Amino acid sequence: MKTVKVTIQVNNEENVLQVKPYETLLETLRERLALTGAKESCGMGACGACTVLVNGIPLRSCLVLTAEVDGADITTIEGLMKDGKLHPLQEAFMEKGAVQCGFCTSGMIMTAKALLDRNKRPTKKEIVRTISSNICRCTGYKKIIEAVEEAGKK
Amino acid sequence: MILPQFEYHKVQSVAGAIALYRKYKGKARYCAGGTDLIPLLKQRLSAPAAVIDLKGIDELKTITRRKGVLIIGANVTLFDLKNDPIVREHFPALFQSLDATSCETLQMRGTIGGNILQDTRCIQYNKSLEWRTSRGFCFKMGGKACNVVLNAQACFSNYCSDNAPALITLSAKVRLKGLKGERTVDLEKIFSGNGKAPFTVEPGEVLTAILIPLKKTEGVYEKLRVRDSMDYPLVDAAVSMAGGKARVCIGGIGPAPRLYVIKNMDENTIRDTADKAYADAKPVANTTISAAYRKKMVSTLVKRAIKRVLKEGGR
Amino acid sequence: MNTDLNIVGKRVVRSDSLAKVTGEARYTADLRLPNMLVGKVLRSPYPHARIVRIDLTRALKVPGVKAAVSGFDAYGIKWGVFRYTQDHAMLPTDKVRYIGEDVAAVAAIDEETALEALSHIKVDYETLPAVFDPIESMKDGAPQIHDEHKNNINIHVHIDVGEVDKAMREAFIVREDTFKAAGEAYAMMEPYAVVASYKNGFLDLWMPNAGPHVRAKALSNLLKMPLNKVRVRHINSGGAFGGRSEVAPADLVASLLSIKAGRPVKLVLSREENATSSRQIHDIIATIKTGMKKDGTIVAKDYKVIYNGGAYSSTGPIATSIPFYVYEECYRFPNVRYNGYRVFTNKGIRGMYGCHGRAFLAGNEAQMDLMARELGIDPAEIRLKNGLTPGEVTATKSKITSCGLKETIETASERTDFKKQWAKRSRNKGIGMGCVAIMCGFPMGFRSGSSCYVKINDDGQVTIVTGLVDNGQGNESMVIQVASEVLGIPMGDINLVCADTEVTNLDPGSYSQAAAFVGANAVKVACENARKRIVAIAAEKLGVAETDIGLKDRMAYVVKEPDKKMPISWVVREAFFRGDPIVATGSFFPNIDFEREWVSRPWGQMAGTFSFGTSVAEVTIDPETGKVTIPRFTAAHDCGCPINPMAVEGQMEGSILQAGVATITEGNLWDKGHLLNPDLLEYKVPLACDMPEMDTIIVSSRDPAGPFGAKEGGLTVRMNAYSAVACAVANATGALFEELPLTPDRVLKIMETKKGVKK
Repeated sequence: MKTVKVTIQVNNEENVLQVKPYETLLETLRERLALTGAKESCGMGACGACTVLVNGIPLRSCLVLTAEVDGADITTIEGLMKDGKLHPLQEAFMEKGAVQCGFCTSGMIMTAKALLDRNKRPTKKEIVRTISSNICRCTGYKKIIEAVEEAGKK
Repeated sequence: MILPQFEYHKVQSVAGAIALYRKYKGKARYCAGGTDLIPLLKQRLSAPAAVIDLKGIDELKTITRRKGVLIIGANVTLFDLKNDPIVREHFPALFQSLDATSCETLQMRGTIGGNILQDTRCIQYNKSLEWRTSRGFCFKMGGKACNVVLNAQACFSNYCSDNAPALITLSAKVRLKGLKGERTVDLEKIFSGNGKAPFTVEPGEVLTAILIPLKKTEGVYEKLRVRDSMDYPLVDAAVSMAGGKARVCIGGIGPAPRLYVIKNMDENTIRDTADKAYADAKPVANTTISAAYRKKMVSTLVKRAIKRVLKEGGR
Repeated sequence: MNTDLNIVGKRVVRSDSLAKVTGEARYTADLRLPNMLVGKVLRSPYPHARIVRIDLTRALKVPGVKAAVSGFDAYGIKWGVFRYTQDHAMLPTDKVRYIGEDVAAVAAIDEETALEALSHIKVDYETLPAVFDPIESMKDGAPQIHDEHKNNINIHVHIDVGEVDKAMREAFIVREDTFKAAGEAYAMMEPYAVVASYKNGFLDLWMPNAGPHVRAKALSNLLKMPLNKVRVRHINSGGAFGGRSEVAPADLVASLLSIKAGRPVKLVLSREENATSSRQIHDIIATIKTGMKKDGTIVAKDYKVIYNGGAYSSTGPIATSIPFYVYEECYRFPNVRYNGYRVFTNKGIRGMYGCHGRAFLAGNEAQMDLMARELGIDPAEIRLKNGLTPGEVTATKSKITSCGLKETIETASERTDFKKQWAKRSRNKGIGMGCVAIMCGFPMGFRSGSSCYVKINDDGQVTIVTGLVDNGQGNESMVIQVASEVLGIPMGDINLVCADTEVTNLDPGSYSQAAAFVGANAVKVACENARKRIVAIAAEKLGVAETDIGLKDRMAYVVKEPDKKMPISWVVREAFFRGDPIVATGSFFPNIDFEREWVSRPWGQMAGTFSFGTSVAEVTIDPETGKVTIPRFTAAHDCGCPINPMAVEGQMEGSILQAGVATITEGNLWDKGHLLNPDLLEYKVPLACDMPEMDTIIVSSRDPAGPFGAKEGGLTVRMNAYSAVACAVANATGALFEELPLTPDRVLKIMETKKGVKK
């Protein structure tokens, strides 16, 4: 089968790739670009562990074809640090104890980042609504909510 | 989980999409947000030779008002539509159904067109090929029986769009463009009532726009689900009211939403409508919750929705 | 709280969290080794069928396929945790016993090729009658799943203490009820994955596991390889909850494929496979008969509990016992009889679970409330009356040392104004309480203890080496914190090597709640031994007695003259000069009765200590839909001493989700042998919007043997949160539940057909 040429900016780096037309963005990130921060947990869009930002919008990368996002600007968890400094969300997740097994963490942080990018100081209710897009089996979400609140204040 | 092989095309126009569909002799699927289609492909419930991506068609992304009608491009995302001031102001039932759809992240990807044309669902259908092979193929998979109801003659899969029932209460129409030209039909008319092929949409037709008469309504959307996010409705009821008349629509049970029109809002009519909706509903054991309960909830939700509209106008 | 502690008891940032928030933490599926192949498994489409023939030849001809295996490539060995439960070949050659069972597998250059090859494996089956319901399965004439187990009874645990029948006759009030609960899914976010790499006679393995040493041992048996050639390596684990405790078929499959192909093989299960083919949780039918005196004293308990065990033994004897023990460790039962049956059926294998036993535990607690109400006693009072106190001995002869049960009941009651709220219940609102105790470790023979090796490096930084495992709960950070406290060296200066069979010593693993009490204790002892060496040199150099030396912030100092000090790195270098570097080992072995056996001798000291906890749930019920919401949840947990209170709270909050809110949402659904919700859409893991306001209360009973007084951190909530919810619903509806989860259809039914109190 013919491959498709795509150019994607991933964490501010341009990648020109020949991908399979039926390749998901999650596969491209993990298998081709070795960016394994986004996780495959359900593979069907029901959990959010694979969430990355595509042109600033949080998408489940397991439901997105790489061919669809040709030309897009993609941010993954690996691209959140700036000049060796953690993103406020990353700091807050650590400080508030919002991380346990860590498998949902990158998707959770990327989902929360999209919220903070459009709404600097979200209310608790808004945070709950947003992160109800993602499943965490470990924490009970309380410390995640606190972390997003805290990051909003930074 | 990897996808099966298919070719991918992004098109810039509806005509381009239709031309490609023709080229693939119908062995192609249109893709908007993909939140319904990609899981179907992953589970090998659909095996097209090509996926035709409609996201590049700019004309499908706009919301315009013309001659007392709100025209919503099919590719407007659920999230953008929810945040449109006209929707919030004029169509509270739709606002609430959009807000109750799946989760916020999927609202940002899913489109209103795709949401309307989502396939019907069944707990014995939305499974991997291995699971279904072990279980045996049902009607909807091209088999000869229903895996839920013994000796059934039809498919009882559920139509689970949150928004179609709300749109139906708003007397929405849909515009379809296909191999034979363009047509505009009442939304409630696109349902075949057959779970195996739930839409009367012609092969190759693209849903391009949803048209809603632009008048202020009062309305409510009631949805029963186990979790307050992510879940499809186990049963849902939308009500929109204007000028003392109301339209009630029930979804989540069986392959088509059902519309009830109330001309006079009095207690008897409300009760009759709830009774009628209850009698019409034929849920089967194809969700996580019992069928008898879902049936019972039809009248509960209808009464509750109407009560809320009368009390708070859906605000 | 000990005020003289520097870091233990503080809310510290977990040592593992930096890698996890940057996406750098590696999990098994993230690994990529040179030349690595992709493994895929062909699974049984039948619940019960004889395997006639497995033909791999056509699959092997698919270009890109490098190996294919079936059970005929293994050694005919069956694994079992106990000698009397060795029934699991992992890749069967006689017959398949559940849908989704591993039958054959391939390794290929990519997933597409592997999937293609699977379709060319030909398996001939002769289908057999199957049985799915444990009651049916126990009947004469039911399909026999394993030849050696008559009536498909895998395990029968029989406990009989005192004179139950006599006590029942003499009781003022007696009540018998049967409670059911659907089995749950672990639903850990990480689907099961294994990487196996066979080279030069050594097999290296990475997989999420709760005990690398037992895993390596099992594989060494199954593969007929010496134990030193099988090395299970450290890797992050995306959640376990009991579901990663045992060797898995995928471990054997990936190993055989790698041995055959001579290349590393990665096998990652899909979400659906993770549900159907890794481990599931027992569904339970618990019949509970209770006799009480007029004053609410429990005089007798008589139990018959049936556990649907699925197709193989797994941790059978343990699973059949634990719900009973965590209850008898909490309350005083002068007369008690327990008959627990674990029954084989043609369903997926059931394992242990952090929330194991909800039908039994919630049933007991809800029934107790109803009886108490009849006697005019409120739930808090009846729990205080029957609850065990320090120094008491349980019905099966475990001595309770530290015990904060009373405090947990009292604080949870005060915080929620429990008595008042319980008394003024309405149809739509209820409040309920659940209590339980948890053994911190249980008898696992010579694997019950842990040991640790510590070395202080030339710049004064530390490496600690321990077999302890972290499945996400924070065990790694916990032991680093303990080491930091003992050595006076910041956590950031301490490196941990753990859970790697090549370099770490035996440890109970993270499935018997022993990590803090046993694992951290061993680390503490090792660090104390190293500390003695540091202190000896520092005392000599600073010219004071050893007892006058303190260690803090990388410095050894004179306690009474803190300005008199020297860096620990100097001490370490001095030790190197003396040709006697600072290295130390330390071990901890809990005080357990090793004569105790789950089936043959179910009495004696179960564990070194026990934790205690009380949960209180407040529920609101929609009277029209039956939908339950939990606006507030309060949990009080006696963890002995919270080493990191933030981590303990996290465990408690997670437990409120996994046991508490799950009471209204979670349960596996079946159509005979087909699991209907093997996904994360129809299996309802609660979301943020479904969670209550949570109030977590940590009670410190200071265990005399625990490290800094610590016991396990949070599991009581995992085993009493459902009781609290079930009791709250019973409080609101005035009737007992029959079956969990309390989905809206069931709750509406309870409200419609209210079950009264019977005598």
